[in-house]
Amino acid sequence: MKEKVLQKLRVLADAAKYDVSCSSSGSSGGGGSTRSAGICHSFTEDGRCISLLKILFTNHCIYDCTYCVNRRSNDRPRAAFTAKELAGLTGEFYRRNYIEGLFLSSGVMVSPDHTMERLNEVVRILRQQYRFGGYIHMKTIPGADPLLVQEAGLLADRLSVNIEIPTEQQLIRLAPEKNFSSVFRPMDQINREAGISRQERKKHPKAPRFAPAGQSTQLIVGATPETDFTILKLASGLYRQQQLKRVYYSGFMPVNSHDARLPALQKPPLVRENRLYQADWLMRFYHFRFDEILDEKNSQLDLQLDPKLAHALRNPQLFPVDLDKAPYELILRVPGIGVRSARIIMANRRHGHIGLSQLKRMGVALNRARYFICCRELPAAAASLYPEQIKQRLLKKGEGQCRQLALF
Amino acid sequence: MKPNREKVAYVFDGSLEGFYTAVFMAFRDKTEPSRFLAANAGQQIPLLEQLRHAPADPALAARVDLGVAKRSGAKNACMLKLAFRSGQEDVLLLIWRYLCRLFDCPDGSFCRNMLDPDVWDVLQAARRVKREVHRFHGFVRFRKTADGFWFALIDPDNDIVDLLIPHFRGRYAARPWVIYDARRNRGIWYDGKKSHDVVLENKAFSLSDGTLPPAAVADDEEHYCRLWQHYYHSVSIAQRPNQRQMKAAMPRRYWKYLPEKQSGHRQ
Repeated sequence: MKEKVLQKLRVLADAAKYDVSCSSSGSSGGGGSTRSAGICHSFTEDGRCISLLKILFTNHCIYDCTYCVNRRSNDRPRAAFTAKELAGLTGEFYRRNYIEGLFLSSGVMVSPDHTMERLNEVVRILRQQYRFGGYIHMKTIPGADPLLVQEAGLLADRLSVNIEIPTEQQLIRLAPEKNFSSVFRPMDQINREAGISRQERKKHPKAPRFAPAGQSTQLIVGATPETDFTILKLASGLYRQQQLKRVYYSGFMPVNSHDARLPALQKPPLVRENRLYQADWLMRFYHFRFDEILDEKNSQLDLQLDPKLAHALRNPQLFPVDLDKAPYELILRVPGIGVRSARIIMANRRHGHIGLSQLKRMGVALNRARYFICCRELPAAAASLYPEQIKQRLLKKGEGQCRQLALF
Repeated sequence: MKPNREKVAYVFDGSLEGFYTAVFMAFRDKTEPSRFLAANAGQQIPLLEQLRHAPADPALAARVDLGVAKRSGAKNACMLKLAFRSGQEDVLLLIWRYLCRLFDCPDGSFCRNMLDPDVWDVLQAARRVKREVHRFHGFVRFRKTADGFWFALIDPDNDIVDLLIPHFRGRYAARPWVIYDARRNRGIWYDGKKSHDVVLENKAFSLSDGTLPPAAVADDEEHYCRLWQHYYHSVSIAQRPNQRQMKAAMPRRYWKYLPEKQSGHRQ
């Protein structure tokens, strides 16, 4: 019995590992002690945080999506939990403080409805029998009945539907059983019902919550020929229209024996993935619009330069920025100055001049920032270089740049 | 710092009250503290310096605390208490310098400029303590004992064990647990309703990996521990190794009480 669970755990955790969306943040006090800032319980050898028990209910799948390791034509060991086993496992891990909660996904077994019912059952046992107050992130299975999605939303903290491939044409080419409407219909439903629940709760604070931590999605990068511009435009739309909390980008991993419909890659495009995350951060925390980061002409992110630096070099008319006077939005645009530093500058500049020693203390990356600010201690010449010169200097000094990026 | 003041090392009992008493004495006697020594920390008592003992006096300590709150607000007084928990070696002198400047400045405006080095250093110390509390919300590992208790051993850089109470009390409502700080040899026992400070006399647990003797743990403990170890290794993607990031987020010094990082269980 014990050995059986161990075998299932190994197969189904291994099969779930390629889904990168797994943070536990953003649920303000659902049932138990979920915090608004996510808690990491451990970090794996690939540098990622373990916050949730990320696992598939089953890796049996009736679909044959080329980019997925669990496609039906792959010869792999298959397994399936029972709802009780999985709920019990989650409960025991949670009690030992191994995890913050459950991230439950699944291959599609028999039919989307059948699978979704099983997932809901796991979560229902957890919430109702075990009185589980931890965080639950559930995948909704594309094509499942809206009523099942609704039930899931009332049980889980976060729901997500993975788009995977950024354009419908490519999605249909790689995953013939899927299309955009099977993805966007549940997404719109979740957004709608969460909005209704928020409105209701304003009137009646005890009204049921619907997915209080919102929804997220994942895009696979590098399996299909879409440009970064297309991807960022899609992500920006998802943040605004579907009000997604997060879009995750996953560098395409050649997980299957080669299929002619997929590019032959040796390694996942990690640097590109990292650049997309940086651009995503610019949109979410730095007040950038997607069309300020890229446009039709410059449709790919520069792999050598981070997108904020690239933006600054393309827009020399904005700089140098006077840190003692400039508005917050402009300070945020200076390469090397992050949100925290920008806030400190805003809060403290009335006490005195912001000089180099202060910038260094708060952790501003002066090697980049120095070309874009004016400040008494800096030679005026630094800020009057041409963009091309700045670029060359930074690239020469910063072989470190590339190494640093490979980190993510 | 005023010149020509007598240099004195203050010895106190290691508590915040003791420290604030020493601070009060230094102000009263117009001396310049060369250092503050916590008597329980096993530090070497210097031979050549003049020593003064500061027996904790709640009334004097309260006057210092009140003075801080009056000049700079209750929130700032809390921040200083957080910084006091720091394991950083020079933190007590940093706090002393901060207090000197605060008491020199009746309207408390000094501490509002966080870019002043004296303010910044103390704020950073407090920030690191807060950060470690947040980290340990994740890094505590409970083991179930045969008599239905939950036990966790930790070894944090800062003195934070009692700051973990609200989080775990909220998480495991009516369940009894102990979280024990191995380095400072004190812990918190939560009996399901209230928390108590404890010092364990007979240490049955292993200080090297936090495990309990087989007879003392519950039957299924080993099983779930093994499941967790296997899970930990199964979710890592071998094609994108990044040990550097893993170690930055979870420094090696925290590994010894994490079952998933115990060697010998690698697959």
